[in-house]
Amino acid sequence: MLEIKNLRVSYGQDVILNGIDLELKPGETVAIVGESGTGKTTLALSIMRLVEGTVRGVIRFNGKDLLALSDNEMRQVRWTQIAMVFQNANNVLNPVYTVLNQIMEPMIEHRLKSREEARKRAAELLGYFGFPRERFSAYPHQLSGGEQQRVLLAMALADDPELLILDEPLSSLDATARAEVGNLLKETDKHSAKLVATHDLDTASKLADRMAVLYGGKIIEAGPTQDVLSRPRHPYTRALIRAYPNMTTVKDLQGIKGRMTHPVNGCPFHPRCTQAIDICRTKMPPLVWNQGRHIACHRGGIITLLSTRSLTKSFGSLKAVDSVNLYIKAGETLALVGQTGSGKTTLAKTIMGLHPPTGGTVYLEDTRVDKRGKNFYKRVQMVFQNPGESLSHRLSVLEAVMEPLDIQGVGTKEERKEKAIQVLGEVELPQTSDFLNKYPHHLSGGEMQRVAIARALVLDPALLIADEPTAFLDASLQAKILKLLLNLQEQRGLSMLYITHNIAAARKVSDRIAVMLKGKIIEEGPSNEIIAAPKQAYTRDLLRAASTLHSAESSTVE
Amino acid sequence: MHIDLKKEIKESGPGKAGLIILLLMVVIALLAPILAPYDPYQQSTASLLPPSWQHWLGMNHVGQDIWSQLLYGARTSLLVGFGVGIISTLLGTVFGVSAALVGGIYEKVVMRIVDAFIVIPMVIVVILISAYIRPSITTLILLLSFLSWQGGARIIRAQALSLKERANVTAAKSFGANHFYIAWRHIIPDLGPILLVDFIYSVRRAIFMEAGLAFLGISDPTVVSWGMMMRDALSFSYLSVWQWWLVPTGVALSLTIIGLTFIGHAAEPVIEPRLRGVGIA
Amino acid sequence: MLSKRNVITYAIAFVFILLLNFLLPRMIPGDPLMAIYGDEALIAMTPELKTNLVERFALDEPLWHQLGAYFVALFQGELGYSYYYNAPVLSVILGRLPWTLLLVGTSLILSTMLGIILGIESGWRRGSKTDRAMLAGLMSLNGFPDFFLGMLLLIAFGVTWGIFPLAGALTPYSGLSGLALLLDVLKHLFLPVAALTLAHLASGYLLTRNTMITVLKEPYMLTAKAKGLSQQVLKYRHAGRNSMLPVVTQTGIWVGRVVTGALFVELVFAYPGVGFLTYEALLARDYPIIQGVFLIVAISVLAVNFLVDLSYPKLDPRVSYAY
Repeated sequence: MLEIKNLRVSYGQDVILNGIDLELKPGETVAIVGESGTGKTTLALSIMRLVEGTVRGVIRFNGKDLLALSDNEMRQVRWTQIAMVFQNANNVLNPVYTVLNQIMEPMIEHRLKSREEARKRAAELLGYFGFPRERFSAYPHQLSGGEQQRVLLAMALADDPELLILDEPLSSLDATARAEVGNLLKETDKHSAKLVATHDLDTASKLADRMAVLYGGKIIEAGPTQDVLSRPRHPYTRALIRAYPNMTTVKDLQGIKGRMTHPVNGCPFHPRCTQAIDICRTKMPPLVWNQGRHIACHRGGIITLLSTRSLTKSFGSLKAVDSVNLYIKAGETLALVGQTGSGKTTLAKTIMGLHPPTGGTVYLEDTRVDKRGKNFYKRVQMVFQNPGESLSHRLSVLEAVMEPLDIQGVGTKEERKEKAIQVLGEVELPQTSDFLNKYPHHLSGGEMQRVAIARALVLDPALLIADEPTAFLDASLQAKILKLLLNLQEQRGLSMLYITHNIAAARKVSDRIAVMLKGKIIEEGPSNEIIAAPKQAYTRDLLRAASTLHSAESSTVE
Repeated sequence: MHIDLKKEIKESGPGKAGLIILLLMVVIALLAPILAPYDPYQQSTASLLPPSWQHWLGMNHVGQDIWSQLLYGARTSLLVGFGVGIISTLLGTVFGVSAALVGGIYEKVVMRIVDAFIVIPMVIVVILISAYIRPSITTLILLLSFLSWQGGARIIRAQALSLKERANVTAAKSFGANHFYIAWRHIIPDLGPILLVDFIYSVRRAIFMEAGLAFLGISDPTVVSWGMMMRDALSFSYLSVWQWWLVPTGVALSLTIIGLTFIGHAAEPVIEPRLRGVGIA
Repeated sequence: MLSKRNVITYAIAFVFILLLNFLLPRMIPGDPLMAIYGDEALIAMTPELKTNLVERFALDEPLWHQLGAYFVALFQGELGYSYYYNAPVLSVILGRLPWTLLLVGTSLILSTMLGIILGIESGWRRGSKTDRAMLAGLMSLNGFPDFFLGMLLLIAFGVTWGIFPLAGALTPYSGLSGLALLLDVLKHLFLPVAALTLAHLASGYLLTRNTMITVLKEPYMLTAKAKGLSQQVLKYRHAGRNSMLPVVTQTGIWVGRVVTGALFVELVFAYPGVGFLTYEALLARDYPIIQGVFLIVAISVLAVNFLVDLSYPKLDPRVSYAY
């Protein structure tokens, strides 16, 4: 019913929408999701031709191009066929007319109803949205935010439009009202199509069948809402979900590195992207259909960084790693959870090439890895369990951190030193010459592990394998290290393979969890799904045995 | 508010025009004795003569040279106008600022009185008083001032109230400054643009009122006034003398007032920035 | 600037007017009776009458007693006696009042309505040539004193082209009735109303236009446009209705101005209203009339202001009236 093709809206020099393609079918609800200032409201307004500035492109509604209509024809389309629920703010309603009156107005002006009929219908609509009867003659300034929102909703439905555009319809409501109004919206007018513009993922989840993510004036991902939210495929979408507090995601909140800037050549997200390549800087990726999703990314969405196929490592007859199929996507953390002896560390070392595999293959960015040369180690690095051992007691802090650079022969000695110092700053260690000259036995456990992490980062790897990094540290240090790893991921776009026996810690840092038992991966999936609904008995046992601060009998659901 | 009032006026087309007109009138007023070819009070038997080379605008009903009268009339209008403007704005500032700073009962009382005066039509009061006391120019200036400062006082008080809340005033108070100091150093300087606009409109109103009163015949008879000239011309409106007697006088009066209006209009965006860019030019 | 004027303000104004009326004649040096009645009237009075009046107004007693007597007389509707017109002041004034009401009422309605409409249209087209021309035009018009406008109109339409009559409210001794009478009244009314309306058009126009400019930027105007409403509806029902509000607050003050203006216009057109009466009284030094007119006019204006203040909350639902 609605088809938007290559919509461009600019205001003077500012380009707000840079080629939007969107489709809406009758009865669908589509959410346009984007942060403030990304152009959601502009998109909404331009469909109704209410936007100032230059508008180019095609907006086809029931066959006719809205942008080609005359002013008068467009005026007749407004409200009768396409209506809008404006963002709830002061003075969105005319202060000198009653609420009922303002709802009646479009019915009468468009000659759809007589005065009496209009009054009845207006009252019906207000009643439907739970607006109290006694307040029908109230004036806008006498209403609370929630009441005003209901009026705006009722008013939009006055002429029974086929397309309803809603701009942040739930944000001014409290939690209970949200649920109530959300349901009302879903129930109403099932044959009409709805376009919801919002920054709130919860709203999108409640109201929309499909969602499209807006960034930098373009749609960068679009697909069925629940799909996109649980398995985002564009780095921005994933980052957005990670940054959004909700009861489903278990991972700690993370921000997105950098800030949105315009204008930007090439892909609008590339300065903040964890997997940008050269072409991303120069050419804008088109929105294409790729395996059930629309996605605008030169790399087809979040790529798989590392994967293993039937990887096996045996020590004699013991299969420590038994035909493991794993994958880690760019910028994500996979937690590998298992008890001692499950084979986790062996798996890690096999991937790293520290044990030659008995069978199966490892792929790095879809390229088969046979021999692990310097290039491999530039991209994949590891942090070991015991920093006291992994750091040579002969090397000072500076020397230890510089070591990988020295081995790889990167740059001049000066440059290497600079890089080492910079990385030490990233892991929040002092960069004074005093500290640089210290030896591991002068350092605390936590400091040592940070040095180890710094050392692993100095080559700017894409994947960090962390093998029980907090096993030898006090509990209070655990939190700090975990936070550090999360921050590093946010800053550098690192992927991580986080190996641990502690499923409680795993859930805080991971996007996905894989459960390993006796060399096999028995279960694997998004963290919140594994935690909330584990399929395997063993996983359930693990969860039950995991640390809780309240015992099972005395715990009440809060 | 670092808005340059002078710039605002200079940049607006009508503002400039208004300024020019006003300056012209001021020059005429100041130089009237030099510019006028005849003594405007000198009567003669040559009454109601049409314009000629010796008498550019002809003669009035008692044989006085109209052109000279016109020039001297400017003096009266501007004298009364500026006189009332200055005193009125001064009074408005004193009462407006003091009401804002002192607050309390003083403020309530002052503002009630101000409102009371605003509601009463002042011209009628002046007529009443003038019926009993024939006012001289000086008396007239004082009288008009006392009855017209109230309008400005409201606006000035409103502005002073918001200025009072600013951090620099709070800081001054913390140094122990008293009301006078705060008013003088912190409030009044920032009131500049508003005071100027109030002044302009006061002058305009005063010129209007003086002309009207003179037209009614209750102004100072010893002084030449445009209003009085028009009053005299009224009786002879059925003759053709109106062309060179009534019209130039009326036009001179109207132009002066219009000039002030335009200047005021150009200065308004200073106080109400939302109006900027949508004025006459 | 909403109606924050409360009853006390009006009380103060009321008292001021009464006191002024009372004190002025008594502050002039000399015989108070002469001050109250004027020397010409005094000549016509008999000694007995003089004594009578002195007693009536307690002129030989201290000021407080006089004030009391004054108020008593006032509330009995006793405004004095005009020797010039040989009739009670009140009846003289009431005889002339209808004409002034006709003049002032018509002009006020016309100038306000026209001012608002022009202001809305001008504000809607803000910045355009039409807007700028209207603004310049009306601001210039505003600079013409009402008596000058009146004289110009009189000379042009009355003297030169003879379309309209030169003076008066009616053609004297014509004995007309019904429709002919109405037309006669209107013919005589036309120029004075024109002068008065034109002179005061600009106030309403400017205020409406300025308000309109701010109103058009409000979010509800976008909402209204989204509702697919026609230009007329947007202009008048939505923007106009909101732009009118400040105009209503000012109406009270404008009544004062138009009434004052009527004074001058009546003079120019010899229109037999209260204004012309005042002029005649000034010439004749008929103080009782002057005082009577002042009292009635001033208090009427006050009353109108008060009523306007009371009715404002009905127009703007955001204002709740707090005493």
